[in-house]
Amino acid sequence: MGLSTVVISVVHGVLWGIILGAASTGLTLLWGVMKVVNVAHGEILLIGSYLIVILYAFLGLSPYIGLLASLALGLITGLAIYWGMLHKLVGKVEKVTLKIEMSTLLIMFALSVALSNSYYHFIGSEPKGLGLWHFGLKSSIDIGSVVVRTNSILAAIVAVIIVAALHLLLTRTTLGKSIRAVMQDAQAASLVGINPVRIKMLTTMIAIGVTTLSGFLIVLHETAIIPGTALIYTPLAFVIVVLGGLGNVLGSFIGGIIIGLIYGLSKAIIALTFNPLASAPLALSTAFIVLILVLLFKPEGLFGR
Amino acid sequence: MGSAKGTVKSYIGKPTPILILALTITVVFARIFNVATLDTLVIFTYFITIAASLNIIMGFAGYVSFGQCVFLGIGAYIYALSIYYVPWMNTLQKIGGEGIIIVGLFASSIAALVAAVVGAVVLRLRGAFFAIATIGLDFAAMYIVMGIVPFINPEQFYGAQVILPSHCLVDKSATFTAMLITMITVLVTNYLIKRSKFGMGLVSIREDEDAAEVMGVPTARYKTLAYTVSALFTALAGAIFYLNGGGVYSEAFDLAHTVDMIVMIVIGGLGTVLGPLIGGVIYYWLYDTLLIHYPGVNLIILGIIVALIILFAPEGVVGILRKYEVRGVRLREILE
Amino acid sequence: MSKATLLSVKSITKKFGGLVALNNVNITVYEGEILGLIGPNGAGKTTLFNVISGVYKPEGGRVFFDSVDITRKPPHQITRMGIARTHQIVKPFNEMTVLENTMIGALFGRLASRITMGEARKKALETLEFVGLIDNADAPASKLTLHEKKTLELARALAAEPKLLLLDEELAGLNPKEIEESLNLIKQAKDEKELTIIMVEHVMHAVMNIAERIVVLHHGEKIAEGTPMEIANTPRVIEAYLGEKELALKFVKKLKPQK
Ligand SMILES: Nc1ncnc2c1ncn2[C@@H]1O[C@H](COP(=O)(O)OP(=O)(O)OP(=O)(O)O)[C@@H](O)[C@H]1O
Ligand SMILES: [Mg+2]
Repeated sequence: MGLSTVVISVVHGVLWGIILGAASTGLTLLWGVMKVVNVAHGEILLIGSYLIVILYAFLGLSPYIGLLASLALGLITGLAIYWGMLHKLVGKVEKVTLKIEMSTLLIMFALSVALSNSYYHFIGSEPKGLGLWHFGLKSSIDIGSVVVRTNSILAAIVAVIIVAALHLLLTRTTLGKSIRAVMQDAQAASLVGINPVRIKMLTTMIAIGVTTLSGFLIVLHETAIIPGTALIYTPLAFVIVVLGGLGNVLGSFIGGIIIGLIYGLSKAIIALTFNPLASAPLALSTAFIVLILVLLFKPEGLFGR
Repeated sequence: MGSAKGTVKSYIGKPTPILILALTITVVFARIFNVATLDTLVIFTYFITIAASLNIIMGFAGYVSFGQCVFLGIGAYIYALSIYYVPWMNTLQKIGGEGIIIVGLFASSIAALVAAVVGAVVLRLRGAFFAIATIGLDFAAMYIVMGIVPFINPEQFYGAQVILPSHCLVDKSATFTAMLITMITVLVTNYLIKRSKFGMGLVSIREDEDAAEVMGVPTARYKTLAYTVSALFTALAGAIFYLNGGGVYSEAFDLAHTVDMIVMIVIGGLGTVLGPLIGGVIYYWLYDTLLIHYPGVNLIILGIIVALIILFAPEGVVGILRKYEVRGVRLREILE
Repeated sequence: MSKATLLSVKSITKKFGGLVALNNVNITVYEGEILGLIGPNGAGKTTLFNVISGVYKPEGGRVFFDSVDITRKPPHQITRMGIARTHQIVKPFNEMTVLENTMIGALFGRLASRITMGEARKKALETLEFVGLIDNADAPASKLTLHEKKTLELARALAAEPKLLLLDEELAGLNPKEIEESLNLIKQAKDEKELTIIMVEHVMHAVMNIAERIVVLHHGEKIAEGTPMEIANTPRVIEAYLGEKELALKFVKKLKPQK
């Protein structure tokens, strides 16, 4: 009985971790390339989640259309965030100093305040979700003794596709190479003819776009979301980005899986040895203890150098 | 000319202590003449207190302590559990504002100790890394409290709520007195720090930590001390605030509290003594009026205001005022 | 009578990953002298300053100041013992005024344990008067020109009342008139305050003119040591750094006759 608790917990943890990993890539891109500390990450994720839910529940549009719409809205939001908020802070500077970095943190923080309260006001604090929609398939799948929700499995598959696409974009295209060049050295990049402002704008669009797109994964996995859901995803995304190393998309993905695994394992262990009711919060606290340890002992991330 | 300048200067030469005094008198009068309810006054003084507490580490030393609310939570929980379980502490806090402060200092000293120990390690991180580590600390503490407190007493503390029984409750005028004393103390502390060697050292750390260390500033010790003092006042404010509310919930660890603090000091002016005071007054006023006229959207508007301030007036209200001259006196020289 | 040793750098080795920035460097500095430290870009001069001032911890070797081993001490303690430095890339505290910048030097320098705020202010004002920045005392440091920022670096260091002053390319980027001014200032400071100075400099005629002895670093190794005249005649130095011999001798010709 103990073992099956562990297996179930780990399987769920890993699925969640895959989703978390994909949902954190936008954050790592924005922070790694532009030194923008996006503390509004969770709220931006929810832009996508809420859009999909609204289109589905109120307009009857399929979540597949919602998926594309959330990407499009994300790109536009990214454009607006860049020109409205970030350009003045990081657009023209060659080296982002600590003080500028702190200003980006504060302005994204202002955005998170505005967004989260918009959710409360315009959408409300009741849970919202896709109801019984599960890709037109059975609602859950049995793997041996473990029962997993179809939506979680398919969300994980979509997560892998998103990460793969983003990785290819960054490694195989000219745009991606320019982005990585600016990340390494903005000054040198501008010497070889890359326009840093254009790259920063596009990076913001891609980062925000991939984040709202990941909102789809969250709404599938969580079944239902509330404005407060953002408050769990922002800090976890930071944990994952730090684990994976700033700007490292694949690192973030793996970081997400590691956190999911740690969560699942510690949850099972706490449930078996202490108390099942305490297991979820205490397991979450381990993720943050891991964060502090990594920050202190391996601040360049698990895969850095 | 010269003499006129001299007189004006001597008249408004020390606006900071005068403003702290004016604020105190206003609050006391508001209480005496029943202009505002006790709850309003407690919240108002609480706001300024937590803003001024965070200002010590974030404004002076430049360390964005995003998870500052962890100390609010620790202070509030330890206070509540202490009076719940330790009869003499309960008796002590019931003698009035002084009693609350004494028990509160016990709770907040533990929070300060946590800050000193954690700070000595975490303050090695800079910028966003530090900010995130403090968020991590807050969440770790919150989840631990959520996981453990219910098991101390499963019937009473369901969902980590510590609801104070009636024999533990105190008169609201006592919590008001305690909060007022705390507010004055933290404002005066800000003032004294700003004018001291310690304060100058902290500001040099904010400006360039490596250069400061090379110039002889004991950066590690100063940062840790600033973090500890900041935590002490935050925790004290948290203890009194939740006592006033009659109980403490895991919500005490909510990052929304840091939101309040940061918004106030950004509006008022980061790293200035008057910043938390002015920012607190403006924030409370905005909070109140916006709440009345635009319920629901008030915080959305507030978020937008903060974004505009960061983009167009990053030094806040005090920074804007400092650019002007009043009757030949450059405000830059007298506004702290 | 042989002069007392103030600083001795003993077999210092400092590596950055695979790069050996300093390789077994030995240098002795005597009380009251000006020692020139020269060498091509990347020779390790700034790195040596960082080791002396405690910013970097070396992989091997020791640094003694006033016969005390300071190798493992944190920078702020070393400053308090009486070593002050300027930075090659200026590091002003931008949002503080010029006066406040200088006060930090006084407050946390050699007299840190006894100086009061009032005294530090007085000391800072005197120092600003001395270096000629007094008119800018209330200006934010960010508003200064490069020359003024370099002078502020010097003022902050002098306000610390050091025994040993490390100057890292104090003259770089200045025009000839400014170089002249700064040189005079350094000489005057040295005489009035009985300083010992190590001076890293690329402006060759200046360092040849002001230094009593010169040490040459190349690829992290000390390749020569001697009077300016000896250095200008050392083949390895000419080859590694000074370029042509003619040119090297021209620097020496510019030298004032030694007293
Ligand atoms: N923090 C560091 N990390 C890695 N390498 C470094 C670091 N600091 C210096 N180096 C390297 O060590 C070598 C010596 O650098 P250093 O700055 O000491 O040279 P320098 O003699 O002061 O040169 P310059 O005349 O250009 O100022 C260089 O190759 C430099 O790239
Ligand atoms: Mg150098």
